[in-house]
Amino acid sequence: MTVEAKSVPVPVIVASEEMQAVRRRALRRQRLNRGMIYVVAIALAIWIILPIYLIGSMALSSPAGVRTYPKAIFPFTDISFDTMSFFLQSEGILPGVINSIVVALITLVLSTLIAAPAGYAISRYIFPGRDFYRLAILGVRAFPVIVLAVPLAVLFIRLGLFDQVHSVALMHTALTLPTTVLVIGSVFASIPYELEEAAMVHGATPLQAFRRVIVPLVLPGIAASAIFTFVMSWNEVFAASILTLENRTLPAQVLNALNKSSPEFQFAGGFFMLIPSLIFIFFIRRYLFNMWGQVTK
Amino acid sequence: MNRKRRNWTPYLLLLPSIIYLALFFAWPMARALSLAFWKEDARLSLRTDASFTSPTAGSLPQAATVAILDTQGNRIAAGTETSAITEVWYRMSAADAEGAAVEGWVLGDRVRVDEESDGVPTLGRIRAVRRSGADPQTSVYVEPGSTRGEVAARLDAQTEVNILESATLEVWYQISGVDENGQTLEGWAQSAYITRGEQDPSSGFIQRGDSAEWTLDFIRTMLSDRFFTSALLTTLLITLITIPIQFVVALIMALVIQARLKGNLLFLYIFSIPLGVSELAVGIVFFLIFTERGYLNSFLQGLGLIDHTITFISADTRPWIIIAVVLAEVWRATSIVMVILVSGLQAVPTELLEAAELFGAGFQQRIRHVILPLLKPSIQVALILRTILAFQVFAVVMAISGGDIVTTLARETFRWYSDEIRNPNMAAAYAGLIMLISIITAIFYLRAVRTQQELAA
Repeated sequence: MTVEAKSVPVPVIVASEEMQAVRRRALRRQRLNRGMIYVVAIALAIWIILPIYLIGSMALSSPAGVRTYPKAIFPFTDISFDTMSFFLQSEGILPGVINSIVVALITLVLSTLIAAPAGYAISRYIFPGRDFYRLAILGVRAFPVIVLAVPLAVLFIRLGLFDQVHSVALMHTALTLPTTVLVIGSVFASIPYELEEAAMVHGATPLQAFRRVIVPLVLPGIAASAIFTFVMSWNEVFAASILTLENRTLPAQVLNALNKSSPEFQFAGGFFMLIPSLIFIFFIRRYLFNMWGQVTK
Repeated sequence: MNRKRRNWTPYLLLLPSIIYLALFFAWPMARALSLAFWKEDARLSLRTDASFTSPTAGSLPQAATVAILDTQGNRIAAGTETSAITEVWYRMSAADAEGAAVEGWVLGDRVRVDEESDGVPTLGRIRAVRRSGADPQTSVYVEPGSTRGEVAARLDAQTEVNILESATLEVWYQISGVDENGQTLEGWAQSAYITRGEQDPSSGFIQRGDSAEWTLDFIRTMLSDRFFTSALLTTLLITLITIPIQFVVALIMALVIQARLKGNLLFLYIFSIPLGVSELAVGIVFFLIFTERGYLNSFLQGLGLIDHTITFISADTRPWIIIAVVLAEVWRATSIVMVILVSGLQAVPTELLEAAELFGAGFQQRIRHVILPLLKPSIQVALILRTILAFQVFAVVMAISGGDIVTTLARETFRWYSDEIRNPNMAAAYAGLIMLISIITAIFYLRAVRTQQELAA
């Protein structure tokens, strides 16, 4: 067709006009498609943001505002921190926040310390049992963790560790460890081994090469994984509720008070628990695919 | 990567994680199963005499009703170790309500010790009886060890007593009861294993046994539990509705991200926010929307669609609660599927999609014949992960409906191990059921995908 078009001068113009029309139409269709995609994207974004916006507007209005009905579709008319401060001053909430932070920090440190060498091993070495280990770790991650809580509670009671922040952290480490191993593994895998080799060629010992070259490169990724570990522990409610009685973490405390509490308490509590994830997911958004891409390989 | 020669280093590096998971994962998992099937206090063995050295005459199951024929207290010397459960008795003197001097033995539990010298109790008071219907007075016996022995006197609560002597006794009951085979057994057993009837002290039941056995009791109790069917069906229903919606929404999200719009990173961030949001918080948010004075009613009324508020969350509106739970779960857990699918999509070569487009494949065709087949491994992983997580839905249900009107298996696990009831066996039975259906589902997904591949090959 094109050859024919080239050989005869006049139809060339016609063809190019036609081609231009086709191109224009294609372009318009593409723009329309992109427009459609934008519409879908914005609709989905609204679906995600709307609930957060609603609870935020409840938590940041006055206690009287929380109880008004009908609720305004455009809230934030009277911003007030009374509801939030009422929640934070409720019995057991501040200790709960502290417990939650302590548990999450212990979990983060333990989980990262145990997982880092394992992640390094599965990304840098070939050894018999490597695939089995990865599969087992995947299996552990997919397993219903609810099953663990009760026997561990029985064990902790027997050992006198029950109702302690440390015991919750031990359990949370077991929950987060598989994910952390896989994530750190993928972080190491994304750094070419040649870099280590090059450093050694230039006279560095293996340990120096690791410390000077690899560590700075993997640190952001490991930090991201640590943040994710923190968020997972901060959010975990089932095991924390089973393993504690007096020293509850924040979610366990809120869950326990749920039936006996006022709407102000509930909505402020919901919003308060939500805040860290908003911040942390923002910081680690670039690493999310590192975390889960590994899973499917 | 993977260039280092084979040595022991990788195993050393893996060791901490293996040890940790063995301790805090494998062991509790096995223990959970044994809790569900192993009853630690299943049977009480009866002895021919009131002593641990005497031979056993047989055993009765826990909860069996027994007649209490006789009691005996074996006095044991102070400081001797005994595996038996002991009672402390005091020999005391006091003045009764009429002022008459009384001397005899009372059960230690009945006396509140007020004064001690060198750890030996000297002065005390008779405790008040709080149980309704119980004898308000406390008996003083001639001999220690038996609450059926000869009564020397009766004392009112709050009577002051001088404690003269204390004795530690192993208390035994002679009981007779009928075992599972219909045989009547008679023998002696430690008092602590038996709860006496309040009205009729000559009968009682075996509160707990002293030996363990494998049992299906917990499973049976679970199956006949009044919440069981509802919990199982609701869990399956929520999973069945949630998973397909999640996959469709997640696929759309993933394709939107893959379209590389302007502001792509912002969309990516927004779509992944729920990844880090606590289950409980999501439950509370959707409670806020669906509660009677919540946003949904406000919105509908604002549009003039309804005259007065609709009650969405009540015992008569289970479908609405389930809808709220499903929406909350879709909101919360679609992100993780999205992230897995985007990772999978990034591995799909763009040339392939361009080629398909060039050959005239429409959008739907591209999805069906190019994208979905290539995404299969990702979808498989996401399906397994999501389904198993959906079986554990808990906090959302608690936050939206309080966990009674609509209940799930995880909620029942929690109910059996909450502050009011601490029954690890029943909780483990429910948890074991969650584990069982999770394993079945995982095998099902793995098989389903494999057979498709085999068919294709």
